[in-house]
Amino acid sequence: MTKINTVSIIDDDPITIFGITKMLNALECCESIETYMNGEQAIQAIREQLDTQQAVPEVIFLDINMPIMDGWQFLDQFIELNISRTIRINIVTSSIDPVDRQNWKDYRSRTHHLIEFRNKPITRDEIALITEAVKQS
Amino acid sequence: MPYTLVGNFNIMLRGTPTTAANYLIKQLPKATAFINSKFEVVHVSDRWITDFDFGKRNVLGKSIFDLFDSVSDDLKELLESCLMGSGGETGVERFVDRSKKERWFEWTNIPWFDDKENIIGIIIQAEEVTARILQSEKLKKLELLLQNKSEVAGIGSWEYDTFTQQLHWCPTIRKIKGVADDYIPTAEEAINFYKEGYSRNTIAMAVENAKNNGTPWHEKLEMITADGREIWVIAAGKPLYRDGQYIGLLGTLQEITEHVNSENKIKESETLLRTVIDNLPLNLYIKDRDSRKTLVNRAECEYLGVSSPEEILGKDDYDLYDKEIADISRQEDLSVMRSLTPIYSRETLNVTSDGSATTFLTSKIPLIGKDGRASGLMGISLDISNLKRQESELRNLINVTSLQNKKLVNFAHIVSHNLRSHTANFSMLLDFLKDEKDEAEKENILKMLTAASNNLLETLENLNEVVTINTNVNLDKKPVRLYERAHTIVESLSGFLQNADAKIDNRICPDLDVKVVPAYLDSILMNFITNAVKYKDPSRPPQITLTTEKKDNYIVLGIADNGLGIDLERYGEKLFGMYKTFHENDEARGIGLYITKNQVEAMGGFITTSSEVGKGTTFKIHFNDKD
Repeated sequence: MTKINTVSIIDDDPITIFGITKMLNALECCESIETYMNGEQAIQAIREQLDTQQAVPEVIFLDINMPIMDGWQFLDQFIELNISRTIRINIVTSSIDPVDRQNWKDYRSRTHHLIEFRNKPITRDEIALITEAVKQS
Repeated sequence: MPYTLVGNFNIMLRGTPTTAANYLIKQLPKATAFINSKFEVVHVSDRWITDFDFGKRNVLGKSIFDLFDSVSDDLKELLESCLMGSGGETGVERFVDRSKKERWFEWTNIPWFDDKENIIGIIIQAEEVTARILQSEKLKKLELLLQNKSEVAGIGSWEYDTFTQQLHWCPTIRKIKGVADDYIPTAEEAINFYKEGYSRNTIAMAVENAKNNGTPWHEKLEMITADGREIWVIAAGKPLYRDGQYIGLLGTLQEITEHVNSENKIKESETLLRTVIDNLPLNLYIKDRDSRKTLVNRAECEYLGVSSPEEILGKDDYDLYDKEIADISRQEDLSVMRSLTPIYSRETLNVTSDGSATTFLTSKIPLIGKDGRASGLMGISLDISNLKRQESELRNLINVTSLQNKKLVNFAHIVSHNLRSHTANFSMLLDFLKDEKDEAEKENILKMLTAASNNLLETLENLNEVVTINTNVNLDKKPVRLYERAHTIVESLSGFLQNADAKIDNRICPDLDVKVVPAYLDSILMNFITNAVKYKDPSRPPQITLTTEKKDNYIVLGIADNGLGIDLERYGEKLFGMYKTFHENDEARGIGLYITKNQVEAMGGFITTSSEVGKGTTFKIHFNDKD
């Protein structure tokens, strides 16, 4: 059983970051976990990884409502990056605004990356399913 | 019978004529002829020869009927009866002289007796009366003419003789008054024909004035005829004098009932029309071919701010409006008059010289003259400014409502989002806690739960604050001296400002009042000023400038800083959103501007923002000054 190389968590809520990290660790499914407080920090880091030919995260947990650069703005820039692999992006939000669901559908159709939409709280089972799917692909 | 020479000589000439008598007759001052029973001339006076223009012609012994071409049958009869003894008969006989001129003579005939009282002939005396005849003919003609005129024009005349106290009425007057042809009025009766009251008083006074002061009169009066009709007349009169002595009155009377009635009818319908057009809730006017106003109603006067139509009549649109508007109107007028096709209910905007704008539904209808061309036009304008205003108010209301609806939905999402994120954290942390064996980790999770709980409480407080702002829309606003309020806030922040080395330039107009909820104003000022310091550019000390201006229904407070600035293209939409922050700043909670915006909007205002990254930001807070 191989491990996922890198998982990235982008959320301004430290509790969410703590929770997801804790669950990932419990599953022992990934080599490293990167966390970012907003989209800006994340996109800068990923750009740098690309520039220095390091591995980019294979799974991303993405919050929508964040300061500086929110989830959608992050996606705008991320899908323009030259990444041939299909990255699993999991939108994790407490928003039930239909506008956000509509946005998700729009972004999903615009990219080869796999974007999914989940409401908080995300459970251990959900994370297990996600990581299993990555390992088997 | 006039006393004539013939009588005197009658006795003297009786008997056989003698040469002396003959000579005597020759010299008689009047045209005289003695004719015998055979009507032959025996003696004539020289005057006879000259008067009848016989010249040198011998008349003696000639028959009178031969001498005069046409002797009337009347005269013949007279002469014959004279021979029978009846005398003193006179008659007027026409005579045409040698120059074909018509002349008239009055013949007086008496029998000629001899000394035995036998009739031996006739003595004829003739006196020319041509002038008299012509005069009387002329007079007759004049009378006839006058009578005709009087009948045709319906103007009667009357005369009062103060000596005989008799009043004479011509037939026309009798007809006007409806009395019989033989009715003889007294002066008092004549006055009493006038209607009691104004008419009778007026005529009585006019007559007195004429008698005493010599003033003539000319009055329009009412009269009641003998057969009970009420009529209108023009009564005129003046005193007559002879040798400076008042001798009576002379006057005319004309019935003008029909005239007055039709005048009254015209006046009535004019009044009716005027009343109608003056009370129409429409502006109505008539223009001539050159677009000059020839009639305007009250509404139009009021619209143009004048008290009487005379101030507008004769003026065109160029006198009343700006050239631009007058041009449009004139073009419309020309097109209506050229095509003879009316314009109906066209929406037009008029601006009067005082600058007030009115929206009208205007109709222009051509008036077609006898020549088939337009002689002008009638304009009807309905002021629909109120409708327009209501329409726009309604649209505003709809906008406000839908905006509030949007805000409400948005707020619901915010509430749901915030509560959900906290509860999600709770459930996740509790889930961890349930299975956690490591005591240190348990402690850690419990700490996080406490933090989450505190966050939730804070969030609830924030949400509660927003709800309070939005439900207290009807909080009483009161006028607040903006300058002083800002000054107080700056004072209260002095420590905070000093720490940041911030300078405040309070350029607010010192005596300007804004209608606000005072607590909101404080919170707004506090928020913007602290924000300006929080997001200062590290390379320079903060400089904040407060300004005011009046704009339409708003008092605009400007708060300009020299801070970091915001990329409005990127964050504009989220600037006033809840829990949105844009700078890497630990103090940013993302609630201040959201609350501020809600407070400003709850007071009927709004905020605009301009900013340049690296230069600074200016917020303009519009306080509603209208309500």
